[in-house]
Amino acid sequence: MIGYYLDLARRSLRRNVALTILMILAIAFGVGASMTTLTVLHVLSADPIPGKSDQLYYVQLDPRPVDGYKEGEEPLYQSTRQDAETLVRAKQAERQVLMTGGGAAIESQQVGVDPFNVEARWASADFFPMFDVPFVAGGPWTAEDDDAKARVVVLAKPLAEKVFGTTDVVGRTIRVESNEMRVVGVTDTWFPTPHFFDLNTGAYGVKELLYAPFSTSRELKFGRNGSMNCWNSHQDPEALGAPCEWIQLWVELSTEAKRADYYEYLTAYSRAEKEAGRYHRPPNVRLRNVMEWLEHNQVVPNDARLQMWISLGFLLVCLINTVGLLLTKFMRRSPEIGVRRALGASKKSIFTQLLVEAGMIGIVGGVLGLLLAWLGLWAVRHQPTPYAALAELDTQMLLATFGLAVITSLLAGVLPAWRGCQVTPALQLKSH
Amino acid sequence: MHFMPILSTLRRHRTAAALIVLEIALTCAIVCNAVFLIRDRLSRMDRPSGVAENELLRVQLTGIGERADAQAITEQDLAALRTIPGVKSAISINMIPFGGSSWNSSISTKPDDRDAPVNAGMYMATGDIVETLGLKLVAGRNFNSDEYVPFDDVQSETKGIAAVIVTSATAEKLYPGQSPLGKPVYVMGSTPPVIVGVVDHIVRPNDANGIDQRPYSMILPVTVPFNMGGNYLLRVAPDRKQEILAQVDAKLDGVDPRRIILERQTFAQVRAKYFEQDQAMARLLLGVSIALLVITALGVVGLASFWVQQRTRQIGVRRALGATKRDIRRYFQLENFILATMGIIVGMALAYGVNMWLMDTYGVDRLSAMYLPIGAGLLWALGQIAVLGPAVRASSIPPAVATRSV
Amino acid sequence: MFQMQDVSKVFRTEMVETHALRDLSLEVKEGEFVAVTGPSGSGKTTFLNIAGLLEELTGGVYKLDGVDVKALDDNARSKLRNEKIGFVFQSFNLIPDLNLFDNVDVPLRYRGFGRAERRKRIESALERVGLASRVKHYPAELSGGQQQRVAIARAIAGDPKLLLADEPTGNLDSQMAREVMQLLEELNASGTIVIIVTHDPEIAARAQRNVHIVDGVATDLERGPALVKPKAAEAKAS
Repeated sequence: MIGYYLDLARRSLRRNVALTILMILAIAFGVGASMTTLTVLHVLSADPIPGKSDQLYYVQLDPRPVDGYKEGEEPLYQSTRQDAETLVRAKQAERQVLMTGGGAAIESQQVGVDPFNVEARWASADFFPMFDVPFVAGGPWTAEDDDAKARVVVLAKPLAEKVFGTTDVVGRTIRVESNEMRVVGVTDTWFPTPHFFDLNTGAYGVKELLYAPFSTSRELKFGRNGSMNCWNSHQDPEALGAPCEWIQLWVELSTEAKRADYYEYLTAYSRAEKEAGRYHRPPNVRLRNVMEWLEHNQVVPNDARLQMWISLGFLLVCLINTVGLLLTKFMRRSPEIGVRRALGASKKSIFTQLLVEAGMIGIVGGVLGLLLAWLGLWAVRHQPTPYAALAELDTQMLLATFGLAVITSLLAGVLPAWRGCQVTPALQLKSH
Repeated sequence: MHFMPILSTLRRHRTAAALIVLEIALTCAIVCNAVFLIRDRLSRMDRPSGVAENELLRVQLTGIGERADAQAITEQDLAALRTIPGVKSAISINMIPFGGSSWNSSISTKPDDRDAPVNAGMYMATGDIVETLGLKLVAGRNFNSDEYVPFDDVQSETKGIAAVIVTSATAEKLYPGQSPLGKPVYVMGSTPPVIVGVVDHIVRPNDANGIDQRPYSMILPVTVPFNMGGNYLLRVAPDRKQEILAQVDAKLDGVDPRRIILERQTFAQVRAKYFEQDQAMARLLLGVSIALLVITALGVVGLASFWVQQRTRQIGVRRALGATKRDIRRYFQLENFILATMGIIVGMALAYGVNMWLMDTYGVDRLSAMYLPIGAGLLWALGQIAVLGPAVRASSIPPAVATRSV
Repeated sequence: MFQMQDVSKVFRTEMVETHALRDLSLEVKEGEFVAVTGPSGSGKTTFLNIAGLLEELTGGVYKLDGVDVKALDDNARSKLRNEKIGFVFQSFNLIPDLNLFDNVDVPLRYRGFGRAERRKRIESALERVGLASRVKHYPAELSGGQQQRVAIARAIAGDPKLLLADEPTGNLDSQMAREVMQLLEELNASGTIVIIVTHDPEIAARAQRNVHIVDGVATDLERGPALVKPKAAEAKAS
């Protein structure tokens, strides 16, 4: 019977091509626009480090002066160098890393490549195992390298290829800000999105290509990127004791119990620092895991959300439009429906027949919507947004798009089909 | 004239009528808010910078490695740049309006004030900011050449800053209703500089402190080398921008080739880059609004066509009974007007609701009442245009159909 | 086969209650050819709609082939209509977008026959009405008489026991009308009950039985008024 309905639907849709195209386009544009924006939102709010995001915690403390203190307020956004170095040395978590964003000029050995600037990250050794950074050659530097302020670097694959033309460069040297640095490892392409571990340099589109020990970077006075906030003036804001926040501190804690313990530890640390006179406020500690941290920072841009709501509103209008047109179309077919009813079609079979017709519009509209979403994402990739490059359709969203189209058209079809099958056989037989 | 009969007809086609009213209402609500948001974005983009935009070029560069001689190289660079024909002046500045990255400080009228009244952007340059950027001095004077101190000396507290120029908004915030000239501003270091001049306006590099904080900035007589902020700004003859930009690299390389030049831009490009997301958003909103209006118009056409077809015989009878073509056309136009009006009324309420929600969730401003009549007018016009075709078709139904058996 | 006992039909609107049929009783045996006559608005169409299961009755009992239709839901009524009843209408009611083959196919589709069975039935039905050569034509390409013959082919393709015809010759000229009547009589001769609603006395005269409806009350002219219970005065409230 479905075959018969499909055949009838095809005929009916071909009878009024303009109307059919209008309905299909309405569904397609509605679905296309919605799926474009939903996909963008989906990639923007994705878990940047699945499987581990609930074991990595961002540490916040509050070493500020007591005046201006309000109970329950957020602690300092970042850490001071003093706290960060102390806590990394204390090794009270399974892993701990301190870091800051940076930038450096690279002079290539390749002939004809001018010096160029790269975004970099100055971090301690745990960075790589903690964030599961994949390597194509070599590996991370060690804690001993940190202590020794060793002239070592880890390169991201694109940088290695640009400077050396190969990734097989472990042991070779590279000129960073006029310093000879030894390459210990080359990471595979790894640009977690959002750039959760440091949101100061941007949540999206950050491509750090060079890693060096934090200690080395300070010794060699490498440039620093990100935000720095000082609450007292200091001759050198980057110095160890400076009253400035500019370091991100992350710890790895694999269980809820360890989290609780570490929280206690930080509280005790704050209290001890206060007794020692360095801290002035009551202990004010936050320990947020990756997703909590992203949520707290509201990394997904409001514009992306706004665009999603607009496109959903657009879809709703397209949906109502299609409901109206289908209703019109089905009501225009009342005489035919009346005859079919008289000849033995039950309400159910009329309902099914009409719903099949609506579904057909949905499927065609869905396929077209998928193409439009794909086109829309292509357009997003050419937008001047930092997350442009991320706008790709994955399998999950592909299926969701199709599902949305079919659900949309069935929704659009239910009311008209229901009204259509209410046509009484007796009434329509005599008059046209 | 046909008001009551139209209402009773619509009552009989309740579902279809309700759908079209709902569609018009939603379109009205979305379009009102979209137009409002577009207007908001455009006004953001129109934001004045306070600088002579048409005469400014920006060169951004970075050095390689630690440079003890950075300040000397900077002076040489500026001297070299000033030799390019058409360049009126050149400075090395730590940040630029709409440049994105910014230097800020809380400032106050008292020392160590935790509740400082304002946080202001800090412009510092090797060279004359007021003259090069074309700022309008509204009170006091520009810096004297002996007031400039090197940044490193300020940082190490070996020298203090004696003078500061603030924008009029900053002055009003610090010393409301008074002349700010000669008054202290506590910023960095223990000895406060005094206000020697007030400029009309210079916008901050970004909105990080909030959009309403954008007029708060100050200028300090602190010389900065090229590797601090990395911006050279050139005031040039407006008609020679491109030829000057083409010569910049050679001049700088002539001083020291071991630098990386990141950008060579006109100020118009700086501004466009800064607002490109707003522009993209405005364009998207415009596109969606147009698409919505088109879809809604087509929906109106579809429904009206159906009703005309359905009432063919009835129209024929009316014509036979003496209705003119104009009467028939008017009937459908009035019908559409009634539907549009209902849609607009519901749409207004909806627009207001959507705006409340947007205010709550995304912090947009309150929808100004002037957008409601714009939306209403747009939808009335749209409805009338859409219904015209079907209405004319209805009016051309001949009276003879009345007598024709169907 | 066809039994109506005290069937009544009341239409209600906000303002008025109209008694379209009052206690109509009628029994028709296999092979009978019945003409129902009466003036406009007498209730003929209501009778036909109820007989054809297109409308529900308000009171009384209607049994078709032994099945009491009152208890049936929409699905069962549709099925019964599909299997037992064929319709022929004054205005033919062919579906203009379907060719002859597909028009005759409509009731067979709902019957659930296989492809081969349907083809066989469609071809034989069109053969019987003399239009076998025009299966690919559309209704608009045919004359009125031909259209009505297609409608008859559609009505008989499913081998119904009961054929209901509503003024089947009303839109036809006399030559075509005669042809259509001849077809109906042939069908009747092969065992199908034919009930035809008409106001044409000539056609009524060709039927074995004549039932006359006036103001919703039926009188069997052939067998006399004795069979009909004259309870017309009591308007039932339910």
